[in-house]
Amino acid sequence: MKKELLEVKGLVKHFGPVRAVDGISFEVAAGETLALVGESGCGKSTVGRLALRLLEPTAGKVWFEGEDLSTLGNEALRARRRSMQIIFQDPYGSLNPRMTVGQMLQEPLLLHGLHMNRTEQRVKELLALVGLAPEHAQRYAHEFSGGQRQRIGIARAIAVEPKLIICDEPVSALDVSIQAQVINLLRDLQRRLGLAYIFIAHDLAVVRHIATRVAVMYLGRIAEIAGKTELFERPRHPYTQALLSAIPVPEPGLSRKRILLEGDVPSPVNPPSGCRFRTRCPHAQARCASEEPGLEDGVACHFWREIPAPAENAVLIAVNERLTRLQAAFRP
Amino acid sequence: MKKLLEVKNLRTHFSVESGEFRAVDGVSFSLDAGRTLGIVGESGCGKSVSALSIMGLVPQPPGRIAGGEILFEGRDLLKFGAAQLRALRGNRISMIFQEPMSSLNPAFTVGEQIAEVLLQHKRFSKKKAKDRAIEMLRRVRIPSPELRYDDYPHRLSGGMRQRAMIAMALACEPTLLIADEPTTALDVTIQAQVLELMRGLREETGTAIVLITHDLGVIAELADDVAVMYAGRIVEHASVERLFAEPQHPYTIGLLGSIPRLHLEQERLAAIEGQVPGPFAGGAGCRFQPRCPFSIEKCQVEDPSLLRLHDGHEAACWKAPL
Repeated sequence: MKKELLEVKGLVKHFGPVRAVDGISFEVAAGETLALVGESGCGKSTVGRLALRLLEPTAGKVWFEGEDLSTLGNEALRARRRSMQIIFQDPYGSLNPRMTVGQMLQEPLLLHGLHMNRTEQRVKELLALVGLAPEHAQRYAHEFSGGQRQRIGIARAIAVEPKLIICDEPVSALDVSIQAQVINLLRDLQRRLGLAYIFIAHDLAVVRHIATRVAVMYLGRIAEIAGKTELFERPRHPYTQALLSAIPVPEPGLSRKRILLEGDVPSPVNPPSGCRFRTRCPHAQARCASEEPGLEDGVACHFWREIPAPAENAVLIAVNERLTRLQAAFRP
Repeated sequence: MKKLLEVKNLRTHFSVESGEFRAVDGVSFSLDAGRTLGIVGESGCGKSVSALSIMGLVPQPPGRIAGGEILFEGRDLLKFGAAQLRALRGNRISMIFQEPMSSLNPAFTVGEQIAEVLLQHKRFSKKKAKDRAIEMLRRVRIPSPELRYDDYPHRLSGGMRQRAMIAMALACEPTLLIADEPTTALDVTIQAQVLELMRGLREETGTAIVLITHDLGVIAELADDVAVMYAGRIVEHASVERLFAEPQHPYTIGLLGSIPRLHLEQERLAAIEGQVPGPFAGGAGCRFQPRCPFSIEKCQVEDPSLLRLHDGHEAACWKAPL
């Protein structure tokens, strides 16, 4: 059996009557990126926090390098967290306004007793790794733009040399041109440092660019989990198909067949019986209301074999040679 | 043919502690009846302030219209009094926002608010206004509109509120709709519903739309023409097909390279280095020059204005056509 870095089994988290996460299992291998995608309220951020045991699960277990996190006491858990870090959508909320960037980057080193004789040198290395200048160590968080703050958040996460970073919507608050800088940075760091990511996002185009595998969530459950290319080119679950067809793409004149879903996502307080997606599913049948489909072959749908995959998802877009050549000028 | 809307050299400034911020700094564009113009750009580029200026909704102070003209059907809105503007807004010109609660009043039912617009502008009878409000709720595909008429906004989901706001904006069949990030706060399946709805209503009513967004995907789906804004200026203006196929301004080229594509495997994104200039970044030259890989000496000293490159295609760049 392949040794997984992180394994999550039967994870459940209820907040009072809200069934935020309702039975989730997946694995993450070293060096890969598993994307968790879905619309608001599907439970993807809660899964991220459960994976680090920042939240206690209602049921289910998390193993990191084979070790059951629920058996760890506070001290052991803190030591373990050196290997598992998190970055947030709004880095400002997680940066201390009274500390300089240098102090913020030294703190985790001191806490874990790393690079003790050369912390200042290490801070410089970290700043260079995320594309900031050494003199930035003297400044405070409010002196930076949104994109730079996200770089500081990333520098702090990699300071302790983790193996896994949970990236919770790390680029969704950033402007497009800045978003591309941070995505490129995350990919570069992954290659250089061999990091694994759990990348939580709602933007599927970003996910296609960064993920190795993708788990699509709906109302606290995984609807489909598959390799990136497979999921984007041959989506099998009706929800994945609808989600992909709903995204507006920057290709004027490209005619796509859209699967328009009716209505809204139901409340997680009272999810539909059987398959949770059935109330909006264009293929729902009687069995879907009575029997909840399990995740088999990575798809949680009774009828996925009978549903034809929409052909347009494999559409190849002609590469614009002139544009590609001009855009190359923007690469450093 | 007379233009429906003509904005000429619009300048909207804000006084803040450290000086005067030129949020919109000499913007000109025009729109024919029934057409959709997309205005695209990143935070702080002045796209929303341009929209608020057209609507006469710039808070003054700290804001002020420092110059220019906004001609709607040939008449300058900047010379209109408050009462004249009120008669126009919500009637001939309507606006929808990213956050529907900025136009819906939490203390009145959704139906009452739509009916109120009709009572005000069309002098409908109460009965007729109610019938028409229900009809509008049905047209934006809100289920059981007769019952929803009596619901307060907080009872509706985000997507339904967005629809209710659109129903209110379109109740008087405006000739011009200004939509500021109308789908940005919505989940993607709901966004698809609202975009479909806007397309359908546009076909039915022939309303012209100024669509403001940061999302090039939304632009590609809805706009006929596009203006790209950067640091208070329009830097490129073209038909939607030409803008995506043959962009000429380096900022547009970089922006198109920055977005990950759903249908394309990409190795590395062509990120634009650096940041959008702050409000007081001065200098005589082109505002994009510090981030531009194509810049030449002239770009540092002289600010380029929009230059016509092709029918209906303009770019503000000394190096264009690239």
